[in-house]
Amino acid sequence: MRQPLSLKIGPSGVRGVIGESLTPQLVTSYAAAFGTYCGAGPILVGTDTRPSAEMIKQAAIAGLLGVGCTPVDAGVVPLPALMLHVREAGAFGGLSVSGSHGSLEWNALRFISSEGLALRANQAAELTDLYHQGLYPRVRALDMSDVRADATSSARHLGAVTRTVALERIRARRLTVAVDPGGDVASAPTLRLLEALGCRAVSVDAGRDATAPGSPEPDEASLLALGERVRRSGADVGFAQDADADRLFVIDEHGVPLGPDATVVLVVQRWLERTTGPVVVNVSTSRLVDDVAARFGRPVHRSRVGEAHVIEAMKEHGAEVGGEGDGGAIVVPVNPCRDSFVAMALILESMAVRERSVGELRAEVPSYSMVRERLLCPARDIAPSLRLIRSLFPGERFDLTDGVKVTWPDRWLLARPSATEPVIRLAAEAPTEGEARSLVNRVLEVLSPGA
Amino acid sequence: MALRELKIGASGVRGVVGDALTPELIVNFACAFGTWCDAGPVVIGRDTRRSSTAFRAAVVSGLLSTGSRVVDLGVSPSPLVSFAIRDLGAAGGIAITGSHNDASWNALKFFGPDGALLNAAKNEELLDIYHGAAFELATWDRLKPVDAAAGIEERYLESLASALDVDRIRERGFRVAVDFTNGACGAVATRLLESLRCTLLPVNDEPTGEFAHPPAPTAANMRQIATLARCFGADLGAALNVDGDRIGFVTGEGTALSEEYSLPLVVTPRLRRRPGPVVTSYSTSGMVEALARAHGQRVVRGPVGESQIVDLGLAEGAVVAGEGSGGVAVLPLGVAYDGLLALGLVLEEMATSGRSLAELAGALPRLFMRKRELPCPPNLVYRVIERFRRHHAGDSPDCTDGVRLSWDDAWLHVRASGTEPLLRIIAEAPTQERAEALVDEAAAFSRRITFGHEGS
Repeated sequence: MRQPLSLKIGPSGVRGVIGESLTPQLVTSYAAAFGTYCGAGPILVGTDTRPSAEMIKQAAIAGLLGVGCTPVDAGVVPLPALMLHVREAGAFGGLSVSGSHGSLEWNALRFISSEGLALRANQAAELTDLYHQGLYPRVRALDMSDVRADATSSARHLGAVTRTVALERIRARRLTVAVDPGGDVASAPTLRLLEALGCRAVSVDAGRDATAPGSPEPDEASLLALGERVRRSGADVGFAQDADADRLFVIDEHGVPLGPDATVVLVVQRWLERTTGPVVVNVSTSRLVDDVAARFGRPVHRSRVGEAHVIEAMKEHGAEVGGEGDGGAIVVPVNPCRDSFVAMALILESMAVRERSVGELRAEVPSYSMVRERLLCPARDIAPSLRLIRSLFPGERFDLTDGVKVTWPDRWLLARPSATEPVIRLAAEAPTEGEARSLVNRVLEVLSPGA
Repeated sequence: MALRELKIGASGVRGVVGDALTPELIVNFACAFGTWCDAGPVVIGRDTRRSSTAFRAAVVSGLLSTGSRVVDLGVSPSPLVSFAIRDLGAAGGIAITGSHNDASWNALKFFGPDGALLNAAKNEELLDIYHGAAFELATWDRLKPVDAAAGIEERYLESLASALDVDRIRERGFRVAVDFTNGACGAVATRLLESLRCTLLPVNDEPTGEFAHPPAPTAANMRQIATLARCFGADLGAALNVDGDRIGFVTGEGTALSEEYSLPLVVTPRLRRRPGPVVTSYSTSGMVEALARAHGQRVVRGPVGESQIVDLGLAEGAVVAGEGSGGVAVLPLGVAYDGLLALGLVLEEMATSGRSLAELAGALPRLFMRKRELPCPPNLVYRVIERFRRHHAGDSPDCTDGVRLSWDDAWLHVRASGTEPLLRIIAEAPTQERAEALVDEAAAFSRRITFGHEGS
């Protein structure tokens, strides 16, 4: 039986199930629409190692050639490296065939603009219009281009990352790093980066390999396994990447996972030591970022949730560093997208230059507790529900960037509609878990079904 | 709305690239073919056209999505695809090639598990799957990879050698000029001629897909190779079309022979080695009848087109089957038109008889053939043919493929092209005047019908 709704067409790309909704016909047509959108020039195509990667890639190549583009096959390459390659090489755009954190029956075609960024919402809307119209300017036989190969993405990316950091200082420390690269795509580039940084790498295969069934996302069990590995190997730090290698999760020298917010906190901390300028994170990211920025006297701007929104806001405010609380850190001068390799290198630089352990660096700012809940809410009830939440906190100042956010000196509460599900996402952060929980409960008391 | 130039027919799907023939259409056909093959392994090859690279990607994607393993021969002649299907026990094959059409066209040729182009019944099954769009797509865990076929060229060359008197050809050390039409045959043909100890004088051998002349090996398209063969002092010249399924010959003296000569030149050496029936089309020269009679063999005629001629040849137990287009299949060794094997057999005949190609051609029965093509909108073709049939109802017309009229000494054939929006008119007679008169009359009649309809 066919499952309903296995196709998702959104700003981040086209996701679907192999053998069901993500068919070669759909990919060929979408690639033709994307080629039409970008213009008849070079388009980089990179993949992950899923069994369906070749099928999707060939469909994309066919669609691109049909509208006069020159597909440039970048091979198996992590998403941040492909994005950097698109920008550096002056390509007209890029296509990433990567199922990301979806399980193995899924795959996705993701669109990269000539700036090396995910498409903004308005760009994605234009592309979708082109696809629906289906009127692509087909080229004649003799005007057709050919496929080129260019496997330099990883080398270019490694060069960009190592040029950024204080290489000799990191090398001199001879750090031991336990890594779980989460599959074949990031594995080799991660080990090359650590080698270039003079680190001893202890590699962990947590069974999240993309060719084996299971979740390609680092979950609690795999982070604990990595923590165990850090302890037993006496490593200075542990790093786990998600399947696209755009997000990073950090384990301290005692084997304790520092939580997904720690990545952007540590990266911001390092980058503010090096440069001037503000910080941008989304409304749902920990207030630890405010504490770090306050130490340097820098403002923090808050954007809507989602990588594209954060990047837009970074441009608007001229911020070099930012990210989200899901492990995604962005350092624009190196690569203007979430990049686990950049985050890894900067955290190692921080450890080397400041001569501190990763746990000590994290401890430079206080700890808070974060509580998150999801509340089922039909689309028509979302606006009244958000109004009701505002009425719970009379006299407070509301940040309406994305849903409703109420902020106090040492805590905050956020209620925002999900972009993908009929759900209101609740988040609260406070000095203790009890305080955070009670903020969330004030909303649940009035909005829970049956309340 | 203008009629788009797309032909979905007995010889696969064919059209003008970018107009009707889009990557999406090719993906759908590849999905249909993978479904028809029940996800078994499929051999693919392509010619040198630029658009063939794009369609290769579309074909690979479509086949993989149905769970087929793809064996990619890369740029290779169509007869090699046919050979590889049988050699590897594949479920089918696709040659991505516009073959004899000009560079703006391209096509897919579909081969079945027996290595022959799909016959009418199989083709109908494929088209039903295509039109129903009921493709059997595989789940992610049943997807297979794309592989190469190691050593396939060597085994193909061994197979060709097994049909030839290699030693006799080697003794002669022929000088052979070959026009490759910038197509897919260069590499394999070079190895074949080396193994036959021939000196190859290659022309248009850069595999650019930008053709130096129209690709069909007609006398008019062989002027360049004819001149060069004479200047090089070659024993023989030949022109292969882009995917190597058709061949035309030129003599050492620089005379380009009509492509009608290719089949008759092969019939004699083939029947000497292996007696059996000869199959050809209603539109092919009567020269083969005289040659077959000399070997005590019969000729069976069928409708025009490789799939139908090879299918009939297999049914009749023929040892050679071919057409006046320059396509010759040496059955049952090969089940596809193969220009390289035809070249080998003509060299063998020159070697064993000790005669030049001009002498061999001169010894063939003297018949004059006239061919004409009339552009005819696809929606009018059958009206014209039907009116022609009624006009000649008293001459007992054969209506198996268009209309064929035959008299004791001559014949006239009017049919719709299977690959282009054209009406083809062919006549053959003992004198040039008679052949011309037959064709002119049929052409004038057809024009009246076409024009009359357009004027109404």
